[in-house]
Amino acid sequence: MQESAYFDKYNPINGVWDEMYGADASVRAHYRKVIEYISGESADDLNKKEELAKRLFMSQGITFTVYNSGEGIEKIFPFDIIPRIITAEEWAFVEKGIKQRLTALNLFLKDVYHNQFIIKDGIVPIDIIYSCPHFLREMYQLQVPYDIYVHISGIDIIRDHDGTFYVLEDNLRTPSGVSYMLENREITKRLFPDLLPQCGVRSVTEYPTILYKNLLALSPRQIHNPTIVLLTPGIYNSAYFEHTTLARLMGVELVEGRDLVVNNHKVYMKTTTGLQQVDVIYRRVDDEYLDPLVFNPGSMLGVAGIMGAYRKGNVAIVNATGTGVADDKAVYVYVPEMIKYYLNEEPLLKNVPTLQLGNMDERAHVFENINKMVIKKTNGSGGYGMLMGHASTEQEIEDYKLEILKDPRNFIAQPTISLSAAPCYMQGELQPRRIDLRPYALYGPAGIEIVPGGLTRVALKEGSLVVNSSQGGGSKDTWVLGALEVKGERLKVKGELKTQEGKGERLKAKGEPKAEEKVKAESLKPKKERRKQLF
Amino acid sequence: MLSRVAASFYWLSRYIERSDGMLRMLKINYASSQDTVQEFTWEPVIRIFAGQDEEEETGKIENNSRAVLKYMVTGKSNSNSILNIITLARENARGVQEHIPKDLWQCLNEYYHTVKEPRLEKALQREDPIGVLDVLIKQVMLYYGTAEITMERGEGRSFMNIGKYLERAIQSVDILDAKFGSIDDNPNLLTDTSYWKHLLLSLGGYELYLKTYREGFESTNILEQVMLNEDFPRSVIYSVNNIQRYFERLKNDSNLDDYREMSFQIGRLQSRIKYSSVKSIELEGLHLFLTQIRKELYGIGNSLNEHYFANS
Repeated sequence: MQESAYFDKYNPINGVWDEMYGADASVRAHYRKVIEYISGESADDLNKKEELAKRLFMSQGITFTVYNSGEGIEKIFPFDIIPRIITAEEWAFVEKGIKQRLTALNLFLKDVYHNQFIIKDGIVPIDIIYSCPHFLREMYQLQVPYDIYVHISGIDIIRDHDGTFYVLEDNLRTPSGVSYMLENREITKRLFPDLLPQCGVRSVTEYPTILYKNLLALSPRQIHNPTIVLLTPGIYNSAYFEHTTLARLMGVELVEGRDLVVNNHKVYMKTTTGLQQVDVIYRRVDDEYLDPLVFNPGSMLGVAGIMGAYRKGNVAIVNATGTGVADDKAVYVYVPEMIKYYLNEEPLLKNVPTLQLGNMDERAHVFENINKMVIKKTNGSGGYGMLMGHASTEQEIEDYKLEILKDPRNFIAQPTISLSAAPCYMQGELQPRRIDLRPYALYGPAGIEIVPGGLTRVALKEGSLVVNSSQGGGSKDTWVLGALEVKGERLKVKGELKTQEGKGERLKAKGEPKAEEKVKAESLKPKKERRKQLF
Repeated sequence: MLSRVAASFYWLSRYIERSDGMLRMLKINYASSQDTVQEFTWEPVIRIFAGQDEEEETGKIENNSRAVLKYMVTGKSNSNSILNIITLARENARGVQEHIPKDLWQCLNEYYHTVKEPRLEKALQREDPIGVLDVLIKQVMLYYGTAEITMERGEGRSFMNIGKYLERAIQSVDILDAKFGSIDDNPNLLTDTSYWKHLLLSLGGYELYLKTYREGFESTNILEQVMLNEDFPRSVIYSVNNIQRYFERLKNDSNLDDYREMSFQIGRLQSRIKYSSVKSIELEGLHLFLTQIRKELYGIGNSLNEHYFANS
């Protein structure tokens, strides 16, 4: 193995979990075939592959448009040709963990919009819920089909320096990126012919089929051919490519707000042969733009009266409105508690230790240790409006503190997590770059299904920890291997998982005296050197 | 089919057809500019294809071939430049991406990237412009070939073809009007064979003309071919016949009233042209006749807007 020039030059980042580079300075078993394959290719060949990938993205129009001085510039979402590989065991664990978490989150949504037992039992404080801008009173006591709120989720998962999986964010509103999961795979098939079957990579192509089946089941009218539409904000939206891809793959109509009209609490679309009733709407328009009569009155993207039709049960909306209360970052803190409360189970996937700045003691602690912290807005996304303590100037920190003090409830702090790294092809060699993972879970009447794979986002800048596409991130194809793969390594991987379960940090328990919380936050970092790596 | 989708198909197709007509016109005119002793004027071409509001600006460049090419192909300020109309065509296609075959979308996307390529603008200025225009013409032909092979034979294609033939009919009417209009100012053109030859070449009707008429270039024969020859794909009657043909396919029980109204409108126009002759047109006055036909063609576009695109 060691004869590979690419591998010999590879310098793993110290103290960071490397998906390819094993502890004994060798290639991990599940990466071997890929490294062997690319070792047979010259840097020229790989450059050509990289070129080919770019050309394929461009000619297929897998681009987003950045509007600058009145002129549209086509950009592709940067793609790294080396796949990120996940073993069958790792996947089984992640899959189970996501299913557990999503089940609890969905129960939480039902509870919070109906009886609110979890508030009454003092598990989640009432002010956290009511101060959340995504908590919608319009959803109160509304019966949604099959009690499913989060039909589509994209939970972001990261790995710490010892390989432990953590949940970074729950994306339960309108998560995007799934088209890149599908397109990256198509392009990898072209780049590395025959390699996928040799490695036993599981297919992701089922995604649109499962989603369509789930949407079909939600139709309020019991007819053989209900009308399902995908509601897009339009061609200027940066995810427009994804909307068309999904509509095409499912064979459903792609509509904009102006194509729909509500009459007598029913939604219709305007066609060349008159109005046609719509039964299920997979919307990629945010809650606040969905209905100008109920939410933002200036919205041109939504449909006036659509919430009325929804409340009457004449149309199904996917995801349900109001799911944002469950992926609010202040509510995130309570998810492990929810899992225990609703399911009576121990959470499999851990939360990243999170401090709420609405809490005075925790705030004081964060301000003291701000260099080791990442501070985020509770309802922000896309990597906007966050502060990376270790990479900010004094002035930026002071300004940000003032911002926090205006409304502390809107901020949380997390220790700087050392994301795991994977090899990327950069200027003729392999270099480690930080990655995360977003698997897409589909919740239908038959249960939760997750296609084996997801979107691996990668921070392409050297040393960067931010993977968001808006902040210079790119993506990789994500391979989940079938169970028959890598026999020799299986035991070892299992061992790792074991230790990870045992070693996990204790989660902040609710109802403990406040004074202890600061100490708790400290105790989240058990060892000195660990602290250096994790935080 | 969604009204918005139908409208996008229609406009997508109109823009493509417009770019096709323009590119051929530019190519032949450039070739002819290399063939003349006197100063060559691009004025008619600009009049046919650029919007009214730009005329002041273009007065300065009408004798400079390279400047005209730049203005008509990659000009950003010209709302009817190839670059701008292909951008619009692509945006329309983007809005209906899941309704058109992937091949067709890729084809159009490539056309767009070819026009946007900075090297193209440079080549247009420094190298052989005919070579550059040929590259673009080939893109249009690829598009039409791909559409022919991959497009589902349904409502969408009917709207596409209505757009295509409507655009083509308007173009042919405009070209006739401009070319015959110039004769009023300069009667010498009437006997200038290269003038008529280039007109036929830019419409792709030169060979057909030679086969049909044996007595050399006569303006009445040219008028007959471009207006009334049902076998000439760029003639007005051919385009109107096709509008009628594809419109008939939109007949549907749920919108009979709309259908009848428009069917009447198209039929009336078709008869008006079919039962005209070169003689009757000359009696009526060519310019007046063409103005009426153009108005009727615009009327069809407006009716589609009202009855099918929910834009009333």
